[in-house]
Amino acid sequence: MTEKFDEVKEVKVDYTRLRVPLGPVHPALKEPISLTVTVRREEILDVVIRLGHVHRGIEALAETRNLIQTLYLVERICGICSHSHTTGFVQALEEIGEIELSDRSLHLRSLIFELERMQSHLFLIGIMAYEIGFDTLFMFTWYEREKILDLFEEITGNRIHHSMNTLGGVRWDLSPSFVEKVNCSLNKIEKSAKYIQEVFQDKTVEKRLCGVGVLDYDEARELCVVGPTARGSGVKVDIRKAYPYAAYSELKDDFSVVLRNTADAQARTQVRILELFESINLIRAILEKLPDGPIYKESVIKLMKKIPEGEATSLVEAPRGELLYFVRTNGKEGLWRLNVRTPTIPNVLGLKPMLIGSEIADIPVTVASIDPCMACANRITVVDQDKRETIVTDLKNLRNRGKKQ
Amino acid sequence: MNTVIILLITFPLVFLLSLLFEGIDRKVHARMQKRIGPPIIQPFYDFVKLFNKERIIPMTASSRIFTTVPIIAAAASILGASIPVASLIAGSNVGGDLIIILYLLTISPIMVMIGGSSSGNPYGAVGFSRKMTMLIAYEVPMLICILSVSVNYTSLAYYDIVLTQVKIGSLLALARPSMAAAAAAFVLCMPAYTETVPFDMSEAKTEIVHGSLVEYGGPYLGLVKLAKSASNFALSFLAVSLFFYTPALLERYFSPELGGAMLLCLVTTLIFMVFTMTVPRTIFARLKIGQAFKFYWLVPLTLSIISVALSILGL
Amino acid sequence: MKLGNMLRDALRALLHKPVTVRYLTRAGEMVSVPERYRGKIVYDKEACIGCLLCIRTCPSGVITTTEEKKVSFNISRCVFCAQCAEICPTDAIRLGSDFEIVTSEKEDLIVQ
Repeated sequence: MTEKFDEVKEVKVDYTRLRVPLGPVHPALKEPISLTVTVRREEILDVVIRLGHVHRGIEALAETRNLIQTLYLVERICGICSHSHTTGFVQALEEIGEIELSDRSLHLRSLIFELERMQSHLFLIGIMAYEIGFDTLFMFTWYEREKILDLFEEITGNRIHHSMNTLGGVRWDLSPSFVEKVNCSLNKIEKSAKYIQEVFQDKTVEKRLCGVGVLDYDEARELCVVGPTARGSGVKVDIRKAYPYAAYSELKDDFSVVLRNTADAQARTQVRILELFESINLIRAILEKLPDGPIYKESVIKLMKKIPEGEATSLVEAPRGELLYFVRTNGKEGLWRLNVRTPTIPNVLGLKPMLIGSEIADIPVTVASIDPCMACANRITVVDQDKRETIVTDLKNLRNRGKKQ
Repeated sequence: MNTVIILLITFPLVFLLSLLFEGIDRKVHARMQKRIGPPIIQPFYDFVKLFNKERIIPMTASSRIFTTVPIIAAAASILGASIPVASLIAGSNVGGDLIIILYLLTISPIMVMIGGSSSGNPYGAVGFSRKMTMLIAYEVPMLICILSVSVNYTSLAYYDIVLTQVKIGSLLALARPSMAAAAAAFVLCMPAYTETVPFDMSEAKTEIVHGSLVEYGGPYLGLVKLAKSASNFALSFLAVSLFFYTPALLERYFSPELGGAMLLCLVTTLIFMVFTMTVPRTIFARLKIGQAFKFYWLVPLTLSIISVALSILGL
Repeated sequence: MKLGNMLRDALRALLHKPVTVRYLTRAGEMVSVPERYRGKIVYDKEACIGCLLCIRTCPSGVITTTEEKKVSFNISRCVFCAQCAEICPTDAIRLGSDFEIVTSEKEDLIVQ
């Protein structure tokens, strides 16, 4: 009998541990993501990441619409990288319909792309400053961002959803007076970008960012992180260089890929700040080289009718990283299937190795440093109430569903 | 009897002044960030608004502690602020000496801390532990500063030290090297006491959602905010009148009992507050708790110990 | 590494006006909008030929047909993409510069 008592295991309750729920609603998070963090004092022991608070069903919605309508729908996947999404979608359609574009329209696409990248990076730099409690830098950075938004408003008529892309070209042309305005704004922005770079070397800022959220090279490769997150860890990935699209094949020599090896939040922020200068250089090169020609081919209705049944994928380098579009058309102006792989999906996986072992104070900085866009990253979960089952659909199932229809 | 009447007159004055100073602080902060900012009387609006709101007590909270603590905090900090103000108005020591003022001013953060941890929210608990660490970090150098002053002038009475400055016709901070070190240490402790960036980790908005204040709302939040602004005002006023009593420079024109001296002192307090609270808040990023603790035990503590050593040597 | 990089600029900002642009720049005068700004739809009923191309391309179902073979717009659903203005063969649709479209009357948001 006594032996049996000895076998009974003692359940140890560790009272030093504290489970802190972070999100879905939290001032540090701009969009809902749920992190359940187990901490001992300030040290993080474990993190559980849950997505799925802002699923909007855009992929399914796209299947009920025609191509032109979908173009404006995919633009609304993300407010910050709206041009990247439409470019990805339109490129896939143009590949299916074998539509050739004029050089001018390709250059204009790249121009808006780079302006958008600057806008997005300034946005994130401001957020980083806000997360470390540096409100003044946040205000100053967003004031610079406002200048780019004003440019967007003048060129395309809208600040965020510029709807610049259309089938077979772009919708708004750049007159010489606009070229001057863009140049003028660029000079101002370059000046303040230098200032922001200087301020980010402030001692209090560096104390908060250096050595925080480290994702080393091997782990970054393993998790396939993309964009500035990968470049901050020293992984050289840039779709603009690897698979040039739009006018980037002609602009190859006008920019370089910014790499940092320290792999922490500071490195990722530095990559973004330095990419501002690369973007400024690119825009100047585009404005210089801007060829003459028409900006779009013919009426979108005619083009839409011409697009046959087929499938295509297209890759673009959104401000946050690699953005993949898989499009399968049905030949009747509609879509069988639209699949979007946004850069946040791989990047959010990197959060766990970044967070474990760091402090509570580092959570907002680490989460912000990968520039997450939660609304882009949410995927379908099918809940069958009768069977009480929960299925998370994967790419294979979705592809099968597309083929069945 | 006289003391009580003067203190009763000072209460509303301190209430108005502390909220007004907070409004000015917010306005200057906004203008430094190129914003327009709220109107200067915004804290009054906030206070009235919060008092008209619903009282919510979380289910996990121990409600008695949760509800009484803000009242104690507000009362303690307003009393702590009134003692120096009343002393200057009356021209004598009113209520108590330096020890009791510092005691009252420490009550309010401790009460807010207890209220936060009694709310049952994990952020409150994290806020409690951070605030406790910060309290140890800045309270020790601050008390040693006061000790140094008292060793120097063999007095702990608040008004005596103010009078000393008038007698020597100079600011205390400039009078002796030991006092300069004490003043420097005291000034460095200001941002930590007022919980502004770079030392606001105990209620960091983006990290732990205002820490102890996370579950507070309505009238309770109004009281806690009042307590905070009153104790911020009190500490600035204390620091100014102890170390930088500017009317002492102009003693020919102001006798210390006059309203003019009080007004000059308040203006100095405002400038002092802008430079110790608003400017650091504008130009720095928030530190981590470990870094802040290290800073406080390296710089202000060393300064204050040097100051005590110097004053024992009679410098 | 430096400390307090922003001190100079923060103090300098005190002397300058805030950069915030007020909604009403002067009493009764709004912020100006650029030429290409996409605001509330302006519809020229006379020029409309009733081809209904706009209905086919509208992404959010703003446009419906009326009995007299013309169209009507429900601005409350509009996303201001200007696709209808682009596709219209007679330029009967135009996006104006009016951006104040908040109202308590639903009828105000229907352009016919």
